[in-house]
Amino acid sequence: MYLLVILIPLLSAVGSGLGGRYLGRKGAGLLSSVWVLVSSLLSFVLCYEILINGSTVYIELGRWIESDLLITSFGLQFDMVTAVMLIVVTTISGLVHVYSTSYMREDPHLPRFMSYLSLFTFFMLILVTSNNYVQLFIGWEGVGLCSYLLINFWFTRIQANKAAIKAMLINRIGDIGLMLAIILIWKEFGAVDYCSLFPALSPSSACTWICILLTIGAIGKSAQLGLHTWLPDAMEGPTPVSALIHAATMVTAGVFLIIRSAPLFDYSPTATIIVGLVGSLTAFFAATVGLVQSDIKKVIAYSTCSQLGYMVMACGTYSCLSSLYHLLTHAFFKALLFLGAGSIIHALLDEQDLRKMGGIIRGLPLTYVLMLIGSLSLAGFPYLSGFYSKDLILELTYNNYCLISIYWLASITAFLTAFYSFRLIYLSFVSKPNLTRIGAQHLQEADWNLLGPLLVLAIGSILVGYIAQNMVFAPGVRPLPLVPTIVSLAPVIMSVTGILLVFILRPYIIYYTTHPSIYGFLFYAWEFNQIANYYIGSTVWKFGHIVSYRTIDRGILEILGPTGIAQFMVNRTKELSNLQSGLVFNYALMILVGTAIALKYLVVN
Amino acid sequence: MSYLILSIVILLIGILGIILNRSNLIIMLMCVELVLLASTILLLFESRVLYTLFGQIFAIIILTVAAAESAIGLAIMVNYYRLRGTIAVRALNLLRG
Repeated sequence: MYLLVILIPLLSAVGSGLGGRYLGRKGAGLLSSVWVLVSSLLSFVLCYEILINGSTVYIELGRWIESDLLITSFGLQFDMVTAVMLIVVTTISGLVHVYSTSYMREDPHLPRFMSYLSLFTFFMLILVTSNNYVQLFIGWEGVGLCSYLLINFWFTRIQANKAAIKAMLINRIGDIGLMLAIILIWKEFGAVDYCSLFPALSPSSACTWICILLTIGAIGKSAQLGLHTWLPDAMEGPTPVSALIHAATMVTAGVFLIIRSAPLFDYSPTATIIVGLVGSLTAFFAATVGLVQSDIKKVIAYSTCSQLGYMVMACGTYSCLSSLYHLLTHAFFKALLFLGAGSIIHALLDEQDLRKMGGIIRGLPLTYVLMLIGSLSLAGFPYLSGFYSKDLILELTYNNYCLISIYWLASITAFLTAFYSFRLIYLSFVSKPNLTRIGAQHLQEADWNLLGPLLVLAIGSILVGYIAQNMVFAPGVRPLPLVPTIVSLAPVIMSVTGILLVFILRPYIIYYTTHPSIYGFLFYAWEFNQIANYYIGSTVWKFGHIVSYRTIDRGILEILGPTGIAQFMVNRTKELSNLQSGLVFNYALMILVGTAIALKYLVVN
Repeated sequence: MSYLILSIVILLIGILGIILNRSNLIIMLMCVELVLLASTILLLFESRVLYTLFGQIFAIIILTVAAAESAIGLAIMVNYYRLRGTIAVRALNLLRG
């Protein structure tokens, strides 16, 4: 059963990928949805065994690399962290599969889409269940690949192509960090599997470097500040992809890496502080940018970025389990928000601009309720699942004495999160209609294939926080931060203030209320793309063109290599052939000189 | 000794005639004859000094070879003159590399 959970998505991917033309669109949708849902049910059984009964399972599958100093095997490790990730990956993936059969119904390439989705699920499961870093890297690269394929699903669109390449390349920067970290771990400790490595740790300076490199890996994959620019661009892919990959699962791989490497981070306070700082800055940055975005998917993308910042920040407070907890609840409400946004987009005939929505509460009441649940949960409204995890993280950061700024950034972020979530709700559902006539006429709820997953996710985002709060912290109890009452009330106050502020600022919200330059600065995401393109991209490009291409490749190497040698030989042979003048007396002279030289040597010898 | 010097001088005259001559092919042929003559003198001198007949035998052979060579050379020259209308040596470089 443990292997089945992983293999079923692979079989589903192979089945609908290779057999797509025989199954047809409906067949491929049905097959992959049913299989991934079966895998998800199995993972719930596993969670019962692992989380409730507290049994950790190791499975050795075989040797992979056997060299003198490096022994790596294929193996699976199902422990508490894996169990939580299993729920996230298989549940969200199964629901997204079902959702896609409705959302992508008109698409002629549905079997390919289903195959990619299942393949992604497979690689993500490899990532979370592996028992060593090298096998984790297979899954890590695999989800990057699937991200490329899925963003580029509509490969005729140039924007999708560009976004896919960007996602791949920026992820690759993080991959280099992870690769170097694995090499350094192997060099320093001689083992890459968790159960050999973690007991053998000792405080050393290498630990700091390993952790910093792991953090770079997480920054790339989890879209933290600096390498985040691919995440908003990845919204060029279909909406179910955004829900599955860029909200719930793939981007949490970076956080998972940090959670998995928590014993390493325990030995490196420096890296832990860096993690906390990066996370809190990302959370704050993305929240400010989310305030002014006009694309409905980009608002949610930036909120994902912000929540990932929360998770990473929680890892920076030596409390990785609370990060895992937030990961779990976040997966539910963020998938709900994305799929709800997909429902809106679908109902409005592929209109993504918030400024062209408004008033669709009459046509889409159920979607409205579901989006409201998702937004309240995201905003950390009491008793919804977001509240439990977010509140915990905020209180934990208050206890983190070395960097109190993290607490303030996180609190401001909580406020901003509530604000932009309800700005989205207000602009799309409540405000005056701004639709086209055709859009308004076709406004109706989609079928139950599309709404069913949303309902399940809504129930999840109401209940998961409460149900899972003792399961995630399985061996011990939920940490109880010692904070003053005002601090423990602060997140609720912040989120309620944020929600209320939307209704106070209602008339001004669609137009920018602040100074235009600040608005532009926020709208273009703190100009990160421009800065990266201008200062890093173009500098590297110029260096590459002038130095390595024109000077070295086409210059020095060309002269020392093919062209230079060929030219030299041709010139010399021309000079040699000039010796053959055709004049008889010259030949006679040469014969005589040659004879004289030969005679000289003959006489000398 | 003087025969030796004589033959070497004739040889040098022949060689320099071949090398330095730019105008006439007949002079070149005559210089080849001079070279062969020098070698004949050298062989005869050697035969006289060493009291052997081999030198004289070779000298006779060289005489016949020289006669045949000049006959063939003149024949080539005549044919060449028919074709080109000149026998200047510096005009002979049609087959340059």
